[in-house]
Amino acid sequence: MSQDGHHPAAMSPVEQRVAALEALLTERGLVPEGFIEEVTRRYELEIGPMNGAKVVARAWADPQYKQRLLAEGTAAIAELGFGGPEGDHMVVVENTAAVHNVIVCTLCSCYPWPVLGLPPAWYKDPPYRARMVREPRTLLAEMGCHLPEDAEIRVWDSSAEVRYLVLPQRPPETEGMTEPELAGLVTRDSMIGVARL
Amino acid sequence: MSRQLSLSDLDLPRRNGELAFDAPWQSRVFALAAAVVDHAFGGDREPFRQQLINAIAAEPGRPYWESWTAALEALAETLPEPPTA
Repeated sequence: MSQDGHHPAAMSPVEQRVAALEALLTERGLVPEGFIEEVTRRYELEIGPMNGAKVVARAWADPQYKQRLLAEGTAAIAELGFGGPEGDHMVVVENTAAVHNVIVCTLCSCYPWPVLGLPPAWYKDPPYRARMVREPRTLLAEMGCHLPEDAEIRVWDSSAEVRYLVLPQRPPETEGMTEPELAGLVTRDSMIGVARL
Repeated sequence: MSRQLSLSDLDLPRRNGELAFDAPWQSRVFALAAAVVDHAFGGDREPFRQQLINAIAAEPGRPYWESWTAALEALAETLPEPPTA
């Protein structure tokens, strides 16, 4: 039998359900032509942790920007051109030597899309959602993030409105670095709060 | 249709691990939810979020994007019937 592309492989049950949804919603006029492709392209290519890294690098390099970022997260993030769904009410929490912040969504998967993109698989899984509230120090250590005994851990549960972003501590010996160089040091996990730099 | 352009060859932001989607149906159902939020709920994400919370609570061990699909199915049930001409 030839595979010439005219006979698509059998769809799995969930693929069939998604195809049925697409047909229904398209029929209702809710899915403009090209909409799916455009959304997918943006979240695969343009929206991701590289945006948050620019915000963090700017805050490290510019004390006045950092002040604005901690006071009015949404507006300060918009200064760099980032905003949109799941970013309407951004609160940025700053890590210090004494305080370590980490974000979670206990009920589903709320996450600051404009600055971090879509959440990693583990963020959406039940163990992380339950344990980060119950035993953050233990879970952080299991994830390779070992904190000093006397460091206070603050766990931020994303609510219906607010999305949090962690401002990691600037690593030592980075004084001479440019903003793009600093951005290159910032990891997604450090902005979730499950890693330190 | 949309799949002739393979994204796998491009320099995707993988530095922090996984890509956003593991399979095309996941990105499609993600975008379909965005379409409903934008075009049926005026950008209000809360109705979908409530359905997602319910779907995850109903079957905590179900794969995430399948819960997402169930949530969108439930939300679609709440849409008003289109006017019959």
